[in-house]
Amino acid sequence: MAFGRTHQQDTYLSPLEYTGPQLTLMHETMRLTHRSQGRISFQSLLQGTFSLTQNSPATANDFGGRIAYDAGWHYNWKPLPDLRIMAGGQVGTDFGILYNDRNGNNPAQGRLSFDIAASVGGIYTFHLRRRPFIARYQADIPLLGCMFSPQFGQSYYELSRGNRDHNVCFAWPVNAPCIRQMLTLDIPFRRFSLRLGYLSDARQSHVNHIKVHDIGRSFMLGFVRHFTIQSKEKQ
Amino acid sequence: MRGIRVFFYYSVLAIVMFSSCVREEEFDDTPEGNLEALWKIIDQQYCFLDYKAETIGLDWNAARTKYRQRLSPDMSRLQLFQVLCNMLAELQDGHVNLFSSADMGRFWSWKENYPLNLNDELRDSYLGKDYKIGAGVKYRILEDNIGYVVYESFTDATGEGNLSDMLYYLRLCDGLILDVRGNSGGALTYSSRLASHFTNEKILVGYTRHKTGPGHNDFSTPEAEYLEPSDGVRWQKPVVVLTNRECFSATNTFVRDMRECPQVIILGDRTGGGSGLPFSSELPCGWAVRFSACPMFDAEMNQIEFGIAPDLYCSLTEYDIQRGVDTLIEAAREVIRRQ
Repeated sequence: MAFGRTHQQDTYLSPLEYTGPQLTLMHETMRLTHRSQGRISFQSLLQGTFSLTQNSPATANDFGGRIAYDAGWHYNWKPLPDLRIMAGGQVGTDFGILYNDRNGNNPAQGRLSFDIAASVGGIYTFHLRRRPFIARYQADIPLLGCMFSPQFGQSYYELSRGNRDHNVCFAWPVNAPCIRQMLTLDIPFRRFSLRLGYLSDARQSHVNHIKVHDIGRSFMLGFVRHFTIQSKEKQ
Repeated sequence: MRGIRVFFYYSVLAIVMFSSCVREEEFDDTPEGNLEALWKIIDQQYCFLDYKAETIGLDWNAARTKYRQRLSPDMSRLQLFQVLCNMLAELQDGHVNLFSSADMGRFWSWKENYPLNLNDELRDSYLGKDYKIGAGVKYRILEDNIGYVVYESFTDATGEGNLSDMLYYLRLCDGLILDVRGNSGGALTYSSRLASHFTNEKILVGYTRHKTGPGHNDFSTPEAEYLEPSDGVRWQKPVVVLTNRECFSATNTFVRDMRECPQVIILGDRTGGGSGLPFSSELPCGWAVRFSACPMFDAEMNQIEFGIAPDLYCSLTEYDIQRGVDTLIEAAREVIRRQ
């Protein structure tokens, strides 16, 4: 779970930037696979983000909701005994809506995208009082994908009637520079670890002359459980 | 270790590069900043700049210069609101409004400068007291077996069932008078839903476009708009649609659609227009602005921003008002009787 603030601008709705609180719920699983002598890890990341933002004169509000899912595979190196470097890729999808409570025929903006992202990170394990603490940094950068966008002045009324006009756009870092960064520290307790962290999630695009940015920065609080799956023979 | 260093440097470079912000230029919340923001919104997103340059001599660049001269740093919000409203009035568009917490800037000359051709008391006398109400539609059968339907606003949600029940009730009438005078629009869904009960075939009723960029001429290819016949009760007898200058926006589109339906006569005054689907935006001071964003055309690709002429012009006369008669309704009855 992460609490923070977000800065949103979507010129389809307004030329002004909206700011306000943001709540993110995240579920992550990571496990080493049997591939390449156990050097390939699989990561599954489900992220739900909800925001309530306001323009600077405080005359209008945006309500935002977004669900993103990413499945990633990383190759792992161990240059030092306690340091693991990860590099790999993710495939992901992102679905959401941003609703402005004052607009008429352009009251909301829908979001739908699919992307392939580069993902890099490092996990460092250190011990304090003989207990293992895990610090992790990860950055995910979409490199290639496609996204939905209405045309510059196209209404959703037109879209609902089946009129299409470059609504599926090719997205890459030049027109959609996005990055998600996580810095976490796992503090061990008896059966689980407490996770403290910082999440920076910048989603941006500039397609069909519509500029969008949604830049959230949050502090994370969660817990981690470690599981070991044993084969029947070993049992 | 060298590999780790290279990896680290590349990571930092990538993070800096992808952290750059996609940002729209924002203006200051000053009189000048608000005027510039408003001017830019209209300049890039308003859909009739070139059309109105041709028809009414609009010069949007000149408007910027003209109204900038009326600004002063110490002017009040009220004065600024007035200057911005005056600038917007150059567009002569009823779909253009500026909203502050205290006022709504508007251009209503499209109806205020013309006779209303509608008298509510007279209309009520035709409806009587035993008329029926199906959602937002009032209707009854007149003494000469002609159905009379009043639809006062397309913001009133009306379902297929309401319309089918109404037309079934009126099925034995010799004709139908559809009175949309005073209906200044609402949802296109309701206006086309009503029109769909007056055609048996899918018919071309017009075209629509939208802006594809900030240039004045950046428009999409015109997209044909068709009226699909309703699955409910469809009217097969003569229809007269009564119009006046207050028929605006979705009602203007309704008249456009009905004009293409068989056995339909448009009677009354020219409609008020308003063929641009309005979008919203806002200024640095928080005031909201509404403007026409997507132009709609008739089936011959003509602009209908300044209204649609009726098939038969007819005005409400003072003489008829005095004797308790609605000139337009009587003319419509006569048209149906002759058919």
